[in-house]
Amino acid sequence: MSGPFPSQGRLRSEDRGIMNDPRSDEYGKILDALPCYVTLQDRELNVLWSNGSCRRDFGDPAGKRCHELYGIGTSRCPDCPVQQTFADGLVYNREMTLTTRDGQRMTVIVHSSPVRDENGQILSVLETAVNITSIKDIQKQLILLGQTVAGMAHSIKNIMMGLEGGIYVVNKGIEDKKPDEIKEGWEMVLLNFDKISHIVKDILYCSKEREPDLQNIKPNEIVRQVYKLFKDVAASYGISIKLDLDDNVNSAVIDPQGLHTVLSNLVTNAMDACKIDLWKDEHLVEIRTRPGSNSATIIEVADNGIGIDKDLSGHMFEDFFTSKGDKGTGLGLMVTQKIMREHDGSITFRSRPSEGTTFVATFPRKELPEA
Amino acid sequence: MPKKVLVIDDEPHVVKYLTVFLQDCGYETCSAGDGEAGFEVLKKENPDLITLDLQMPNETGTRFYRNLIKTKDYKDVPVIVISGIPGRHLAVSKPVAVFEKPIDREALLDTIRKTIGE
Repeated sequence: MSGPFPSQGRLRSEDRGIMNDPRSDEYGKILDALPCYVTLQDRELNVLWSNGSCRRDFGDPAGKRCHELYGIGTSRCPDCPVQQTFADGLVYNREMTLTTRDGQRMTVIVHSSPVRDENGQILSVLETAVNITSIKDIQKQLILLGQTVAGMAHSIKNIMMGLEGGIYVVNKGIEDKKPDEIKEGWEMVLLNFDKISHIVKDILYCSKEREPDLQNIKPNEIVRQVYKLFKDVAASYGISIKLDLDDNVNSAVIDPQGLHTVLSNLVTNAMDACKIDLWKDEHLVEIRTRPGSNSATIIEVADNGIGIDKDLSGHMFEDFFTSKGDKGTGLGLMVTQKIMREHDGSITFRSRPSEGTTFVATFPRKELPEA
Repeated sequence: MPKKVLVIDDEPHVVKYLTVFLQDCGYETCSAGDGEAGFEVLKKENPDLITLDLQMPNETGTRFYRNLIKTKDYKDVPVIVISGIPGRHLAVSKPVAVFEKPIDREALLDTIRKTIGE
Protein backbone atom coordinates (compact mmCIF):
# COMPACT_ATOMS: atom_id res chain seq x y z
CA MET A 1 0.00 0.00 0.00
CA SER A 2 1.35 3.37 -0.86
CA GLY A 3 -0.35 6.57 0.18
CA PRO A 4 -3.49 6.97 2.21
CA PHE A 5 -5.86 5.43 -0.30
CA PRO A 6 -6.67 1.83 -1.20
CA SER A 7 -5.12 0.80 -4.48
CA GLN A 8 -7.80 -1.45 -5.87
CA GLY A 9 -11.05 -3.19 -5.11
CA ARG A 10 -13.47 -2.07 -2.44
CA LEU A 11 -12.39 -0.64 0.86
CA ARG A 12 -10.74 -3.59 2.59
CA SER A 13 -9.85 -4.15 6.19
CA GLU A 14 -6.23 -3.13 5.74
CA ASP A 15 -7.30 0.07 4.02
CA ARG A 16 -9.71 0.85 6.83
CA GLY A 17 -6.70 0.43 9.04
CA ILE A 18 -5.04 3.26 7.22
CA MET A 19 -8.17 5.34 7.44
CA ASN A 20 -8.20 4.71 11.16
CA ASP A 21 -4.68 5.97 11.49
CA PRO A 22 -5.10 9.23 13.43
CA ARG A 23 -2.98 11.04 10.90
CA SER A 24 -5.01 9.90 7.90
CA ASP A 25 -8.16 10.67 9.87
CA GLU A 26 -6.98 14.27 9.84
CA TYR A 27 -6.57 14.03 6.05
CA GLY A 28 -9.97 12.40 5.88
CA LYS A 29 -11.56 15.33 7.73
CA ILE A 30 -9.95 17.77 5.35
CA LEU A 31 -11.11 15.78 2.32
CA ASP A 32 -14.61 15.43 3.76
CA ALA A 33 -14.81 19.18 4.22
CA LEU A 34 -13.77 20.02 0.65
CA PRO A 35 -16.69 21.77 -1.06
CA CYS A 36 -16.43 19.48 -4.06
CA TYR A 37 -17.02 15.81 -4.72
CA VAL A 38 -13.88 13.68 -4.48
CA THR A 39 -13.79 9.99 -5.39
CA LEU A 40 -11.07 7.45 -5.88
CA GLN A 41 -11.72 4.96 -8.68
CA ASP A 42 -10.15 1.86 -10.13
CA ARG A 43 -9.86 0.88 -13.78
CA GLU A 44 -13.38 -0.52 -13.83
CA LEU A 45 -14.63 2.78 -12.42
CA ASN A 46 -15.55 1.17 -9.09
CA VAL A 47 -15.71 3.91 -6.50
CA LEU A 48 -13.18 2.86 -3.84
CA TRP A 49 -13.68 5.84 -1.65
CA SER A 50 -15.63 9.11 -1.62
CA ASN A 51 -15.38 12.21 0.52
CA GLY A 52 -18.03 13.58 2.89
CA SER A 53 -19.60 16.02 0.45
CA CYS A 54 -20.01 13.21 -2.03
CA ARG A 55 -21.52 10.80 0.51
CA ARG A 56 -23.90 13.54 1.67
CA ASP A 57 -25.27 14.30 -1.82
CA PHE A 58 -24.86 10.97 -3.61
CA GLY A 59 -24.98 8.42 -0.80
CA ASP A 60 -22.85 5.43 0.06
CA PRO A 61 -20.48 4.54 -2.80
CA ALA A 62 -20.07 0.91 -1.76
CA GLY A 63 -20.53 -1.46 -4.68
CA LYS A 64 -21.21 1.34 -7.13
CA ARG A 65 -19.39 2.42 -10.19
CA CYS A 66 -18.83 6.11 -10.91
CA HIS A 67 -21.73 6.54 -13.35
CA GLU A 68 -24.06 4.65 -11.00
CA LEU A 69 -23.10 6.73 -7.99
CA TYR A 70 -23.52 10.00 -9.89
CA GLY A 71 -26.91 9.07 -11.34
CA ILE A 72 -25.68 9.17 -14.94
CA GLY A 73 -26.84 5.72 -16.00
CA THR A 74 -25.98 2.07 -16.26
CA SER A 75 -23.24 2.44 -18.85
CA ARG A 76 -20.06 4.43 -18.61
CA CYS A 77 -19.89 7.89 -20.14
CA PRO A 78 -18.35 8.34 -23.57
CA ASP A 79 -14.91 10.01 -23.25
CA CYS A 80 -14.68 8.99 -19.60
CA PRO A 81 -11.88 11.17 -18.17
CA VAL A 82 -10.97 8.55 -15.54
CA GLN A 83 -10.31 5.92 -18.20
CA GLN A 84 -8.36 8.43 -20.23
CA THR A 85 -6.19 9.14 -17.20
CA PHE A 86 -5.65 5.41 -16.65
CA ALA A 87 -4.59 5.13 -20.28
CA ASP A 88 -1.95 7.87 -20.40
CA GLY A 89 -1.55 9.28 -16.89
CA LEU A 90 -2.56 12.80 -17.91
CA VAL A 91 -5.11 15.03 -16.21
CA TYR A 92 -8.43 15.28 -18.03
CA ASN A 93 -11.49 17.38 -17.42
CA ARG A 94 -14.94 17.68 -18.84
CA GLU A 95 -18.37 19.00 -18.02
CA MET A 96 -21.05 16.58 -16.90
CA THR A 97 -24.59 16.58 -15.56
CA LEU A 98 -25.06 14.60 -12.35
CA THR A 99 -28.19 13.70 -10.43
CA THR A 100 -28.05 13.71 -6.63
CA ARG A 101 -29.82 11.12 -4.55
CA ASP A 102 -32.78 13.49 -4.08
CA GLY A 103 -33.09 13.81 -7.82
CA GLN A 104 -31.54 17.23 -8.18
CA ARG A 105 -29.56 17.79 -11.36
CA MET A 106 -26.36 19.73 -11.33
CA THR A 107 -23.66 20.61 -13.82
CA VAL A 108 -20.14 19.84 -12.66
CA ILE A 109 -16.67 20.12 -14.05
CA VAL A 110 -14.79 16.89 -13.50
CA HIS A 111 -11.01 16.59 -13.20
CA SER A 112 -9.30 13.23 -13.20
CA SER A 113 -5.73 12.80 -12.00
CA PRO A 114 -3.60 9.71 -11.48
CA VAL A 115 -2.56 8.35 -8.08
CA ARG A 116 0.76 6.54 -8.58
CA ASP A 117 2.90 4.21 -6.50
CA GLU A 118 6.61 4.83 -5.92
CA ASN A 119 7.42 3.16 -9.27
CA GLY A 120 5.15 5.54 -11.10
CA GLN A 121 2.47 2.91 -11.79
CA ILE A 122 -1.05 4.28 -11.79
CA LEU A 123 -2.88 2.67 -8.89
CA SER A 124 -6.11 4.57 -9.04
CA VAL A 125 -7.55 7.80 -10.35
CA LEU A 126 -8.70 10.66 -8.16
CA GLU A 127 -11.74 12.35 -9.57
CA THR A 128 -12.92 15.73 -8.32
CA ALA A 129 -16.24 17.17 -9.41
CA VAL A 130 -16.96 20.84 -8.79
CA ASN A 131 -20.54 22.07 -8.94
CA ILE A 132 -20.71 24.82 -11.55
CA THR A 133 -24.50 24.97 -11.88
CA SER A 134 -24.62 28.61 -10.83
CA ILE A 135 -21.91 29.48 -13.34
CA LYS A 136 -23.90 27.69 -16.03
CA ASP A 137 -26.92 29.75 -15.06
CA ILE A 138 -24.92 32.92 -15.48
CA GLN A 139 -23.72 31.60 -18.80
CA LYS A 140 -27.31 31.11 -19.89
CA GLN A 141 -28.11 34.65 -18.82
CA LEU A 142 -25.23 35.82 -20.98
CA ILE A 143 -26.56 33.81 -23.90
CA LEU A 144 -29.89 35.54 -23.46
CA LEU A 145 -28.13 38.87 -23.39
CA GLY A 146 -26.20 37.92 -26.50
CA GLN A 147 -29.43 37.02 -28.25
CA THR A 148 -30.92 40.30 -27.18
CA VAL A 149 -28.04 42.29 -28.58
CA ALA A 150 -28.02 40.25 -31.79
CA GLY A 151 -31.77 40.75 -32.05
CA MET A 152 -31.41 44.47 -31.56
CA ALA A 153 -28.69 44.71 -34.21
CA HIS A 154 -30.95 42.88 -36.60
CA SER A 155 -33.93 45.11 -35.87
CA ILE A 156 -31.79 48.16 -36.44
CA LYS A 157 -30.59 46.72 -39.74
CA ASN A 158 -34.17 46.31 -40.88
CA ILE A 159 -35.09 49.77 -39.68
CA MET A 160 -32.17 51.21 -41.60
CA MET A 161 -33.37 49.48 -44.72
CA GLY A 162 -36.86 50.89 -44.13
CA LEU A 163 -35.54 54.41 -43.58
CA GLU A 164 -33.30 54.20 -46.60
CA GLY A 165 -36.19 53.01 -48.71
CA GLY A 166 -38.48 55.74 -47.38
CA ILE A 167 -35.94 58.46 -48.02
CA TYR A 168 -35.33 57.16 -51.52
CA VAL A 169 -39.03 57.13 -52.35
CA VAL A 170 -39.54 60.65 -50.89
CA ASN A 171 -36.64 62.01 -52.94
CA LYS A 172 -37.95 60.35 -56.05
CA GLY A 173 -41.41 61.81 -55.39
CA ILE A 174 -39.97 65.31 -55.02
CA GLU A 175 -37.93 64.91 -58.17
CA ASP A 176 -40.90 63.67 -60.18
CA LYS A 177 -43.32 66.06 -58.42
CA LYS A 178 -45.56 63.18 -57.38
CA PRO A 179 -47.27 63.98 -54.05
CA ASP A 180 -48.58 60.40 -53.70
CA GLU A 181 -45.08 59.04 -53.90
CA ILE A 182 -43.84 61.57 -51.34
CA LYS A 183 -46.67 60.60 -49.00
CA GLU A 184 -45.95 56.92 -49.35
CA GLY A 185 -42.24 57.38 -48.78
CA TRP A 186 -42.88 59.61 -45.79
CA GLU A 187 -45.09 56.92 -44.24
CA MET A 188 -42.20 54.47 -44.57
CA VAL A 189 -39.96 56.94 -42.76
CA LEU A 190 -42.53 57.51 -39.98
CA LEU A 191 -43.16 53.83 -39.43
CA ASN A 192 -39.49 53.12 -38.99
CA PHE A 193 -39.13 56.13 -36.77
CA ASP A 194 -41.84 54.56 -34.58
CA LYS A 195 -39.86 51.36 -34.43
CA ILE A 196 -36.86 53.26 -33.13
CA SER A 197 -38.99 54.82 -30.37
CA HIS A 198 -40.13 51.32 -29.44
CA ILE A 199 -36.57 50.14 -29.06
CA VAL A 200 -35.62 53.14 -26.98
CA LYS A 201 -38.66 52.67 -24.73
CA ASP A 202 -37.73 49.05 -24.16
CA ILE A 203 -34.16 49.96 -23.30
CA LEU A 204 -35.38 52.59 -20.85
CA TYR A 205 -37.80 50.07 -19.35
CA CYS A 206 -34.92 47.68 -18.81
CA SER A 207 -32.74 50.22 -17.11
CA LYS A 208 -35.35 51.55 -14.69
CA GLU A 209 -36.15 49.94 -11.36
CA ARG A 210 -39.83 49.46 -10.82
CA GLU A 211 -42.05 47.58 -8.42
CA PRO A 212 -44.33 44.97 -9.98
CA ASP A 213 -48.07 45.57 -9.55
CA LEU A 214 -48.75 42.31 -7.68
CA GLN A 215 -52.30 41.01 -7.79
CA ASN A 216 -54.05 37.75 -7.14
CA ILE A 217 -54.65 36.43 -10.65
CA LYS A 218 -55.50 33.28 -12.56
CA PRO A 219 -52.41 32.62 -14.70
CA ASN A 220 -54.26 30.34 -17.14
CA GLU A 221 -56.62 33.17 -18.02
CA ILE A 222 -53.74 35.41 -19.03
CA VAL A 223 -52.29 32.58 -21.08
CA ARG A 224 -55.63 32.29 -22.89
CA GLN A 225 -55.66 36.04 -23.57
CA VAL A 226 -52.19 35.89 -25.09
CA TYR A 227 -53.22 32.81 -27.08
CA LYS A 228 -56.17 34.71 -28.57
CA LEU A 229 -53.90 37.61 -29.40
CA PHE A 230 -51.44 35.49 -31.34
CA LYS A 231 -53.25 32.53 -32.81
CA ASP A 232 -54.36 34.24 -36.05
CA VAL A 233 -51.01 35.88 -36.70
CA ALA A 234 -49.33 32.53 -36.03
CA ALA A 235 -51.71 30.75 -38.40
CA SER A 236 -50.82 33.20 -41.18
CA TYR A 237 -47.24 31.94 -40.86
CA GLY A 238 -48.38 28.31 -40.84
CA ILE A 239 -47.67 27.99 -37.11
CA SER A 240 -50.24 26.48 -34.79
CA ILE A 241 -50.34 27.47 -31.13
CA LYS A 242 -51.45 24.85 -28.64
CA LEU A 243 -52.32 25.17 -24.96
CA ASP A 244 -51.60 22.62 -22.28
CA LEU A 245 -52.88 24.22 -19.10
CA ASP A 246 -52.88 22.54 -15.72
CA ASP A 247 -56.09 23.25 -13.80
CA ASN A 248 -54.10 23.19 -10.58
CA VAL A 249 -52.55 26.49 -11.64
CA ASN A 250 -55.62 28.38 -10.51
CA SER A 251 -54.27 31.36 -8.64
CA ALA A 252 -51.00 33.15 -8.10
CA VAL A 253 -49.74 36.54 -7.01
CA ILE A 254 -48.18 37.98 -10.14
CA ASP A 255 -48.16 41.34 -11.91
CA PRO A 256 -50.74 40.56 -14.64
CA GLN A 257 -49.28 43.08 -17.09
CA GLY A 258 -45.83 41.63 -16.45
CA LEU A 259 -47.00 38.08 -17.09
CA HIS A 260 -48.75 39.22 -20.25
CA THR A 261 -45.54 40.85 -21.49
CA VAL A 262 -43.41 37.81 -20.61
CA LEU A 263 -45.79 35.51 -22.47
CA SER A 264 -46.09 37.77 -25.49
CA ASN A 265 -42.32 38.04 -25.74
CA LEU A 266 -41.77 34.31 -25.41
CA VAL A 267 -44.48 33.49 -27.94
CA THR A 268 -43.10 36.08 -30.37
CA ASN A 269 -39.64 34.57 -30.00
CA ALA A 270 -40.98 31.06 -30.45
CA MET A 271 -42.78 32.15 -33.63
CA ASP A 272 -39.63 33.82 -34.92
CA ALA A 273 -37.68 30.63 -34.28
CA CYS A 274 -40.29 28.78 -36.36
CA LYS A 275 -40.35 31.36 -39.13
CA ILE A 276 -36.64 31.18 -39.79
CA ASP A 277 -36.68 27.40 -39.72
CA LEU A 278 -37.07 26.45 -43.36
CA TRP A 279 -36.73 22.73 -42.95
CA LYS A 280 -39.88 21.63 -41.18
CA ASP A 281 -43.24 21.76 -42.87
CA GLU A 282 -45.32 21.99 -39.71
CA HIS A 283 -44.54 24.38 -36.93
CA LEU A 284 -45.93 24.33 -33.46
CA VAL A 285 -45.75 26.60 -30.44
CA GLU A 286 -47.04 25.18 -27.20
CA ILE A 287 -47.79 27.15 -24.04
CA ARG A 288 -47.93 25.04 -20.89
CA THR A 289 -48.63 25.81 -17.27
CA ARG A 290 -47.97 23.62 -14.27
CA PRO A 291 -47.47 24.01 -10.54
CA GLY A 292 -43.85 23.94 -9.40
CA SER A 293 -42.32 23.05 -6.07
CA ASN A 294 -43.17 25.30 -3.09
CA SER A 295 -46.36 26.44 -4.84
CA ALA A 296 -44.49 28.16 -7.63
CA THR A 297 -46.15 28.75 -10.99
CA ILE A 298 -44.29 27.43 -14.00
CA ILE A 299 -45.02 28.59 -17.50
CA GLU A 300 -43.34 27.05 -20.49
CA VAL A 301 -43.28 28.16 -24.09
CA ALA A 302 -41.97 25.47 -26.43
CA ASP A 303 -41.43 25.63 -30.17
CA ASN A 304 -40.14 23.27 -32.84
CA GLY A 305 -38.30 26.04 -34.62
CA ILE A 306 -34.67 26.45 -35.47
CA GLY A 307 -33.27 25.94 -31.96
CA ILE A 308 -30.33 27.66 -30.35
CA ASP A 309 -26.96 26.53 -31.57
CA LYS A 310 -24.72 25.08 -28.90
CA ASP A 311 -21.79 26.91 -30.36
CA LEU A 312 -22.35 30.23 -28.67
CA SER A 313 -19.67 32.07 -30.53
CA GLY A 314 -20.73 31.03 -33.98
CA HIS A 315 -24.11 31.00 -35.62
CA MET A 316 -26.19 31.83 -32.62
CA PHE A 317 -25.56 35.51 -32.98
CA GLU A 318 -26.70 35.38 -36.56
CA ASP A 319 -29.62 33.09 -36.08
CA PHE A 320 -31.46 35.00 -33.45
CA PHE A 321 -33.35 38.11 -34.10
CA THR A 322 -36.78 39.56 -34.06
CA SER A 323 -38.49 38.85 -37.31
CA LYS A 324 -38.75 41.77 -39.67
CA GLY A 325 -42.06 43.43 -40.12
CA ASP A 326 -43.19 42.71 -36.60
CA LYS A 327 -43.23 45.37 -33.95
CA GLY A 328 -40.61 43.44 -32.00
CA THR A 329 -37.46 45.23 -31.11
CA GLY A 330 -35.28 42.30 -30.20
CA LEU A 331 -35.33 43.43 -26.62
CA GLY A 332 -38.07 41.03 -25.66
CA LEU A 333 -35.82 38.70 -23.75
CA MET A 334 -34.18 41.49 -21.82
CA VAL A 335 -37.56 42.87 -20.78
CA THR A 336 -38.69 39.34 -19.95
CA GLN A 337 -35.68 38.75 -17.73
CA LYS A 338 -36.26 42.00 -15.95
CA ILE A 339 -39.90 41.16 -15.22
CA MET A 340 -38.88 37.73 -13.92
CA ARG A 341 -36.27 39.34 -11.68
CA GLU A 342 -38.90 41.71 -10.30
CA HIS A 343 -40.92 38.65 -9.31
CA ASP A 344 -37.85 36.96 -7.78
CA GLY A 345 -38.47 34.36 -10.46
CA SER A 346 -36.21 32.82 -13.05
CA ILE A 347 -36.18 32.14 -16.73
CA THR A 348 -34.19 29.38 -18.34
CA PHE A 349 -34.28 27.51 -21.61
CA ARG A 350 -33.32 24.22 -23.13
CA SER A 351 -32.74 23.89 -26.81
CA ARG A 352 -31.61 21.54 -29.54
CA PRO A 353 -30.27 23.04 -32.75
CA SER A 354 -32.78 22.60 -35.59
CA GLU A 355 -35.24 20.82 -33.27
CA GLY A 356 -36.60 23.58 -31.11
CA THR A 357 -36.42 25.52 -27.90
CA THR A 358 -38.35 25.55 -24.64
CA PHE A 359 -38.33 28.56 -22.36
CA VAL A 360 -39.31 27.97 -18.75
CA ALA A 361 -40.46 30.88 -16.59
CA THR A 362 -40.82 30.15 -12.88
CA PHE A 363 -42.79 32.52 -10.67
CA PRO A 364 -42.26 31.71 -6.98
CA ARG A 365 -45.24 31.84 -4.62
CA LYS A 366 -45.75 35.35 -3.32
CA GLU A 367 -47.95 37.02 -0.76
CA LEU A 368 -49.99 40.07 -1.66
CA PRO A 369 -48.21 43.15 -0.29
CA GLU A 370 -49.84 44.80 2.74
CA ALA A 371 -52.32 47.38 1.54
CA MET B 1 -37.91 47.07 -74.79
CA PRO B 2 -36.95 47.45 -71.12
CA LYS B 3 -36.13 44.32 -69.15
CA LYS B 4 -38.54 43.26 -66.48
CA VAL B 5 -37.73 42.43 -62.86
CA LEU B 6 -40.08 40.56 -60.51
CA VAL B 7 -39.68 41.64 -56.88
CA ILE B 8 -40.95 39.10 -54.31
CA ASP B 9 -41.00 40.29 -50.71
CA ASP B 10 -43.64 40.19 -47.98
CA GLU B 11 -42.79 43.67 -46.78
CA PRO B 12 -44.70 46.18 -48.91
CA HIS B 13 -42.13 48.83 -48.04
CA VAL B 14 -39.27 46.77 -49.38
CA VAL B 15 -41.30 46.09 -52.53
CA LYS B 16 -42.00 49.80 -52.90
CA TYR B 17 -38.37 50.72 -52.38
CA LEU B 18 -37.02 48.18 -54.84
CA THR B 19 -39.61 48.79 -57.54
CA VAL B 20 -39.23 52.58 -57.40
CA PHE B 21 -35.46 52.19 -57.48
CA LEU B 22 -35.45 49.71 -60.36
CA GLN B 23 -37.95 51.75 -62.40
CA ASP B 24 -35.70 54.72 -61.82
CA CYS B 25 -32.87 52.71 -63.30
CA GLY B 26 -34.88 51.96 -66.41
CA TYR B 27 -36.32 48.55 -65.65
CA GLU B 28 -39.92 47.50 -65.78
CA THR B 29 -41.10 45.92 -62.56
CA CYS B 30 -43.78 43.66 -61.21
CA SER B 31 -44.12 42.39 -57.66
CA ALA B 32 -45.66 39.87 -55.31
CA GLY B 33 -46.04 39.63 -51.54
CA ASP B 34 -45.34 35.91 -51.18
CA GLY B 35 -44.09 32.94 -53.13
CA GLU B 36 -47.51 31.73 -54.16
CA ALA B 37 -48.56 35.06 -55.64
CA GLY B 38 -45.03 35.30 -57.04
CA PHE B 39 -45.64 32.24 -59.17
CA GLU B 40 -48.86 33.69 -60.59
CA VAL B 41 -47.12 36.95 -61.47
CA LEU B 42 -44.22 35.01 -62.95
CA LYS B 43 -46.53 33.20 -65.37
CA LYS B 44 -48.36 36.38 -66.34
CA GLU B 45 -45.43 38.76 -66.68
CA ASN B 46 -42.52 36.61 -67.84
CA PRO B 47 -39.85 38.60 -66.00
CA ASP B 48 -36.19 38.54 -67.05
CA LEU B 49 -34.96 38.36 -63.44
CA ILE B 50 -36.38 37.76 -59.98
CA THR B 51 -35.36 39.22 -56.62
CA LEU B 52 -36.50 36.83 -53.93
CA ASP B 53 -36.90 37.30 -50.20
CA LEU B 54 -36.18 34.04 -48.42
CA GLN B 55 -38.27 34.55 -45.33
CA MET B 56 -41.95 34.94 -46.06
CA PRO B 57 -45.25 33.69 -44.67
CA ASN B 58 -47.45 31.13 -46.46
CA GLU B 59 -45.16 30.06 -49.25
CA THR B 60 -41.55 30.53 -48.30
CA GLY B 61 -39.05 31.82 -50.78
CA THR B 62 -37.35 28.44 -50.77
CA ARG B 63 -40.50 26.69 -51.86
CA PHE B 64 -41.00 29.27 -54.60
CA TYR B 65 -37.47 28.58 -55.79
CA ARG B 66 -38.01 24.82 -55.81
CA ASN B 67 -41.14 25.21 -57.91
CA LEU B 68 -39.33 27.59 -60.20
CA ILE B 69 -36.52 25.22 -61.08
CA LYS B 70 -39.01 22.40 -61.60
CA THR B 71 -40.92 24.39 -64.22
CA LYS B 72 -39.33 24.04 -67.65
CA ASP B 73 -40.22 27.47 -69.01
CA TYR B 74 -38.84 29.35 -66.02
CA LYS B 75 -36.02 27.30 -64.62
CA ASP B 76 -33.38 29.51 -66.24
CA VAL B 77 -34.75 32.84 -64.99
CA PRO B 78 -31.93 34.32 -62.88
CA VAL B 79 -32.71 34.75 -59.19
CA ILE B 80 -31.12 37.25 -56.81
CA VAL B 81 -31.70 36.36 -53.19
CA ILE B 82 -32.39 39.23 -50.84
CA SER B 83 -32.41 37.98 -47.31
CA GLY B 84 -32.69 39.18 -43.77
CA ILE B 85 -31.04 35.98 -42.66
CA PRO B 86 -27.29 35.77 -43.10
CA GLY B 87 -26.10 32.41 -44.37
CA ARG B 88 -29.55 31.17 -45.30
CA HIS B 89 -29.03 31.48 -49.06
CA LEU B 90 -27.72 27.90 -49.07
CA ALA B 91 -31.37 26.88 -49.15
CA VAL B 92 -31.35 28.11 -52.74
CA SER B 93 -28.86 26.18 -54.83
CA LYS B 94 -27.68 28.62 -57.47
CA PRO B 95 -28.68 32.20 -56.90
CA VAL B 96 -26.99 34.77 -59.12
CA ALA B 97 -26.09 36.72 -56.00
CA VAL B 98 -27.13 37.08 -52.39
CA PHE B 99 -27.80 40.41 -50.76
CA GLU B 100 -28.38 40.87 -47.10
CA LYS B 101 -30.70 43.54 -45.86
CA PRO B 102 -30.09 46.43 -45.72
CA ILE B 103 -29.27 46.23 -49.40
CA ASP B 104 -26.43 48.08 -51.04
CA ARG B 105 -28.60 49.32 -53.90
CA GLU B 106 -25.73 50.29 -56.22
CA ALA B 107 -24.23 46.82 -55.89
CA LEU B 108 -27.64 45.30 -56.54
CA LEU B 109 -28.07 47.42 -59.66
CA ASP B 110 -24.59 46.46 -60.81
CA THR B 111 -25.42 42.75 -60.44
CA ILE B 112 -28.73 43.11 -62.27
CA ARG B 113 -27.02 45.01 -65.13
CA LYS B 114 -24.33 42.36 -65.43
CA THR B 115 -26.93 39.60 -65.46
CA ILE B 116 -29.60 40.89 -67.83
CA GLY B 117 -28.15 44.11 -69.21
CA GLU B 118 -29.48 47.67 -69.05
